[in-house]
Amino acid sequence: MKVLFVCSGGMSSAIVVQALKKEGEKQGLELEVLAVGTSDIESELKKGWDLVMVAPQVRHRMESIQKAADKASVPCGAIPPQAYTPLGGPILLNTVKQLMGI
Amino acid sequence: MNGFISFLDKNLSGPMARLSEQRHLRAIRDGVISALPFIIVGSFFLIVAFPPLPEDSLISQWAAKHANEILIPYRLTMFIMSLYIAFGVGYNLAKSYDLDPLSGAQTAVAALLLTITPQMIEDLGFVLPMNNLGGHGLFVAMLVSILSVEVLRLCKGSKITIKMPEQVPASVSRSFEALIPVALVVLLMSLITVGFEIDLHQVVDKAVSPLVTAGDSIFGVWIPVFLITFFWSFGIHGVSVVGTVARPVWEVYLFNNADAVASGSSHIPHIAPETLYQWFIWIGGSGATLGLVLAMLLFSKSKYSKTLSRACLVPGIFNINEPVIFGVPIVLNPIMIVPFVITPLITATLSYFATAAGLVTPTYIQPPWTLPAPIGAYLATGGDWRAIVLVLLNIAISFFIYLPFFKIYDRNMAEMETDKGSDLPSA
Repeated sequence: MKVLFVCSGGMSSAIVVQALKKEGEKQGLELEVLAVGTSDIESELKKGWDLVMVAPQVRHRMESIQKAADKASVPCGAIPPQAYTPLGGPILLNTVKQLMGI
Repeated sequence: MNGFISFLDKNLSGPMARLSEQRHLRAIRDGVISALPFIIVGSFFLIVAFPPLPEDSLISQWAAKHANEILIPYRLTMFIMSLYIAFGVGYNLAKSYDLDPLSGAQTAVAALLLTITPQMIEDLGFVLPMNNLGGHGLFVAMLVSILSVEVLRLCKGSKITIKMPEQVPASVSRSFEALIPVALVVLLMSLITVGFEIDLHQVVDKAVSPLVTAGDSIFGVWIPVFLITFFWSFGIHGVSVVGTVARPVWEVYLFNNADAVASGSSHIPHIAPETLYQWFIWIGGSGATLGLVLAMLLFSKSKYSKTLSRACLVPGIFNINEPVIFGVPIVLNPIMIVPFVITPLITATLSYFATAAGLVTPTYIQPPWTLPAPIGAYLATGGDWRAIVLVLLNIAISFFIYLPFFKIYDRNMAEMETDKGSDLPSA
């Protein structure tokens, strides 16, 4: 499964990416996760992703990100604030599963 | 308290943050940001031209002799930053309207260039004065870029374009589509600059000069510092919201400071470019949280704080603090919001007056923001060792302000852990 994280510049999400990947490994789920900034979202979406997740600190841009995701018909959801930490792996994976309906 | 915070989030910070997502503001934000690599790289040639070494050293003597040559890359990047910014704003605004971004960018560049009059100089031919393509031209660049793209949009919207038959390749028909709007922009700008002999730069300079003066005062520093931590207290990226409006002014300061150094002046005019905030105030990220991470590392009683502090230390050194802000959390946490807002106001005040008093060189170089603060501050001031002292002092101050608040918070956490008998509090 390919998950795209969106934050302001793609820096802080990179830390959370690791947390999600580790949790995925633990549960035997193959995950490809990448963090990008809001300005790169449109071009990145063309490359084919299964899910877009929006970091809490850019949630005020949710609308435009949602639009871009809808255009590419990729489901899109918010990362819960309490999951946006290096220790947030379990909550993150749960959110991913919920959004993907697994 | 909690009710009050959620009230603020719903009625104040949320709507304000969404306001910064307004189309033109967003285009300006992304346009200015797109030019930052050129500003960062260009500014570094200043440190090569004026190395932080004794004046009689061989390198300093060599640099002094060749300063003009060394500064050529700076002259063609940072020194004409408005040209890059016009391109970026035009590109992003056109993209947001689903217009051809390249046409938007190019039209914006043409409009900016048309605010300047080429001079005929013997032996050289026509020469374009560069002065107004730098920091001085920044507001004009933003203005005419928006104007250009709005003309493009108007023409497309009211179908005033030359349509080609379907058999014509897309790239060809696109170039024709831009023909009328480009003609309109070129005519309009020529009319202003050549016809009416209006120097747009002078007009706009006058209009924004109160703002430029105000932003460099202590109040002009307190306001963005407060707003940035205010937004983060609700989990909204404060720098990104406030920077949308403030960054153009900050870049003007940085430009003027760099320009002063490059032209050999001993007076660096501005105290508060974004680099002041980045290197002296936001140490460890917005809210000066490196001090908090150190306090957590040394004094955690709860397992959660201890584990979290270890995970936050390395990102914190590189000024990434979302793990702290959302992990502790500081967001919507009345105890931790207090030091989170107060600390940067205090370190800002100290840094501002230390710079104003000449104890630390004003910043004029823009290092990438992910460098550790002492290194970044040293580079940003063109190699002033006193900047490192100020950074260390600010870290110590933030450590001591955060400590008592963290202890209260940590005691609650530790109690929760023993009550529940679990390692981590569930979310």
